[in-house]
Amino acid sequence: MSDGPQNGEPRPPLARRLTPLLLLLPLLVPLLVENQYYVHGILGRILVYTLLVASLDLVVGYIGDVSIGHAGFFAIGAYTVAVLTAPPALNGDSAIAFFPQWPFLVALALGVALSAIAGFVLGFPALRSSGPYLAVITIAYGLIIFTFINEQEAWTNGTKGVTLAPLRLGGVSLGGNNYIFVVYPFLVAVLWALRNIGKSFWGRAFEAIKNSAVAAACTGISRAYYKVSAFVLSAAVAGLAGGLFSQLDSYVAPNTFSYNLSVEFLIALIFGGTRSILGNLIGVTIFVFLPDLFTAFADSRLMVYGILLLVVLFFLPDGVAGVLRSLWGRLAGTGLARERHALAAAASHVDVFASATARQGDALVLEGVTMRFGGLTAVNDLSLTIPRGSVRGLIGPNGSGKSTTVNVLTGVYQQTAGRITSFGHDVGSLTTAQRARFGLARTFQNLQLFQDLTALQNVLVGLHQSFRSNLYQVALWTPAARREEWGAKVRAYALLRFVGLESQAFEKASNLSYGQARLLEIARALAVSPGLLLLDEPAAGLTSAEIEAINAIVRRIKAAGITVLLIEHHMEMVMAISDEVTVLDFGRKIAEGSPGAVQADPAVIEAYLGKHPTAIGAGAQ
Amino acid sequence: MQTLQLLWAGIAQGMIYALVAFGYNITFSTSKILNFSLGNVLMLGGVTGFVLYMTRGVPFAGALAGVIAVGAVGGVLVQKLAVEPSLRKKSQHAWILATLAVGIVLRNGAEVFWSTDDFKMRSPLGDAPLRVGGAGGIGIYPQEILIILVSLAIVMTVEMLKSRTLLGKAVMAVSEDKETASLMGIDQKRVILFSFSLSAAIAAVGGLLVAPITLVSATMGTVLGVKAYSASIIGGLESGYGTIAGGLIIGLSESLTARFVSTGYKDVPGFLFLIVLLLVKPSGLFGKRTIRKV
Repeated sequence: MSDGPQNGEPRPPLARRLTPLLLLLPLLVPLLVENQYYVHGILGRILVYTLLVASLDLVVGYIGDVSIGHAGFFAIGAYTVAVLTAPPALNGDSAIAFFPQWPFLVALALGVALSAIAGFVLGFPALRSSGPYLAVITIAYGLIIFTFINEQEAWTNGTKGVTLAPLRLGGVSLGGNNYIFVVYPFLVAVLWALRNIGKSFWGRAFEAIKNSAVAAACTGISRAYYKVSAFVLSAAVAGLAGGLFSQLDSYVAPNTFSYNLSVEFLIALIFGGTRSILGNLIGVTIFVFLPDLFTAFADSRLMVYGILLLVVLFFLPDGVAGVLRSLWGRLAGTGLARERHALAAAASHVDVFASATARQGDALVLEGVTMRFGGLTAVNDLSLTIPRGSVRGLIGPNGSGKSTTVNVLTGVYQQTAGRITSFGHDVGSLTTAQRARFGLARTFQNLQLFQDLTALQNVLVGLHQSFRSNLYQVALWTPAARREEWGAKVRAYALLRFVGLESQAFEKASNLSYGQARLLEIARALAVSPGLLLLDEPAAGLTSAEIEAINAIVRRIKAAGITVLLIEHHMEMVMAISDEVTVLDFGRKIAEGSPGAVQADPAVIEAYLGKHPTAIGAGAQ
Repeated sequence: MQTLQLLWAGIAQGMIYALVAFGYNITFSTSKILNFSLGNVLMLGGVTGFVLYMTRGVPFAGALAGVIAVGAVGGVLVQKLAVEPSLRKKSQHAWILATLAVGIVLRNGAEVFWSTDDFKMRSPLGDAPLRVGGAGGIGIYPQEILIILVSLAIVMTVEMLKSRTLLGKAVMAVSEDKETASLMGIDQKRVILFSFSLSAAIAAVGGLLVAPITLVSATMGTVLGVKAYSASIIGGLESGYGTIAGGLIIGLSESLTARFVSTGYKDVPGFLFLIVLLLVKPSGLFGKRTIRKV
């Protein structure tokens, strides 16, 4: 509450701050409506399934992997609670030998933990595979769990299922309609936490990985850490949903948790719209409610869902929630103008280079770096030294190994031989993300922006390593986490202003022009607080006015003490802003020196123009 | 002897997986897309065959022609109505969901418009097993021999046509590089459409082949489709003959697990193998590894 005015974060209007009170309304339903079928049967199911779909959203919506195995996590949660809490009296002739009869909440916690562990295990294949390859792994995973609950009769009573006693608290039954009071608080708490995570640097890291894994790594985001975390979180929430589901009917049987369940909830998710709590809720509601609305469809309900999904896929790319969101945005405004205003005011005092850390030693030393692909040697025994604070141009004809050099420097490729030292540290065996955290930032020749994110969010991803809040602070959206987020936003805005893109701050990266996209790449790379900035053909495809603007930006970056390695075809630009130029040809260094000296070097002229009398003559001018 | 019997049954079952896996493989090779409704296209083939051959009494050759036609047209419809529109979406994996949805519509459609029961289908070659190896020997169903021969014949013919004919070379060119293939005058859209049609026709024939040794029902394709998908991934999506290896691995692991562990767990070893394999070789046994360019 108190942090708003101090650092300029705009406070939402009063009406907005009071909307959470609306969340209490559903709790009135069981008090006012007695109908068991609608309250317990329909509303209860919607609440539990919404949790399951929200968990699926983490993997499908945020990380962008298709999971067709979430029924497995759901089953782990449900069966943990069922087996650990079931009383022997209600399971008289079952194959289960031992009934621990734990309290519900303890069993629920264990169910969540076990499911999270299962998610951790699934996270590793997800690091190696994606698309159809990962989809089949999730199917296999779900089916293996399904087989176990079917076959391990001594634990699960096989196909006959497990009967639970309805929950009681003191003398009050929490079964039937009262079960809403148990499920609803879990739902609200989890969805709120997921929403907070989704809009924080965590959610941005997920989406960055989805949009461009290599660019995410180059801003210091560890793909392994965030991907596995997403799977663990997702599985934990699915396990929670399963645990709550077991008490919904006080009975669980394996058939619920089949492959079809995974597919159907995937459909519900896409139908409602991904990365949206509202979408999750809408998708599930339609899913649960449709057979009741059209009883004639009861048998053909799956056909209707399938056709609905196809319609949504083709006409509503962001699902039903996407349509509602854009309608709401048109009616009520988005509040972006206020935020832009506040950001502009706060950013006017920010020096974008203030946090640059002092570094010692040469910015980059390569010793005998070689990169081979099979029989092809793309970079051959390359040695060079770039002094701190200088601008080095790296040129060469097509296929001379410039891009490979950049990819080796940033760890996208592992060099076959040689040493890479930066500011006195051997970085040659670090991962891409570690090098970025160390202070090596880059732009990409073939733009690698996070297309689904706004320009401001793209730069915020670049600032990823500056965030100190842990997951709990983010999930609870503590004042510290909010302050940090706002501070980062201000800094990101200042960086956009530095490259001249502040008016596009809230524009999606995919809508930017080519020149704007190149500038945004530079802003994002600067957000990493680099000691050494690698610009990979920043002028490609730009007009001369745009190139002039980039020249000016590079000079200011140099003035701030950041070393620049400029890979470029545009000679005029290289010669104008480089202190020294290195020339590659066929993976070898053929010349190095001041721009003037390199331009006059016969070897360079030969590499570019070929060996011909007139070409040599041109060099003599 | 019982083991030998199960090995034989595992090979027959595995060849069905291989045949459908080959169907997945065909569309992947032209468009990098798997038609996830293929299991239910197989069901459609089985049901069509059953209705024509058993209910209507059409001769088997006529039923076969009907099944091929249904599959071929079905493949075109899937490509036109589900795959092509989903490629226009920015979401990378919209086609996975779209083809899954088509599968659900087909399955539920068969339940609503045909039947929810299981039916036994007669084999055109007779249902009496041939005894091999005398009284204690193993029984071989003629239908199983047919499955193995037809599946092998289809895979080998298509693979041969791919490398020997102009159309086959067009398919390979599209699979290597769509843009360049277009520039060479290959109509890549028609090649892709053709691959969907061929793939679905093969799956439908698979349904007709497998029907006499299992049962015909609206749900016959769901699990089979998933296993064939696993088989195609195990073999490597780029490799035509790899699907045979994948199919046999799944089929044999199933029958051996059923024999030596328990019927209930028969699917588990194959799936575990798949998961471990992809950890070690992310593109399957015979798949290609690509170097990403930045």
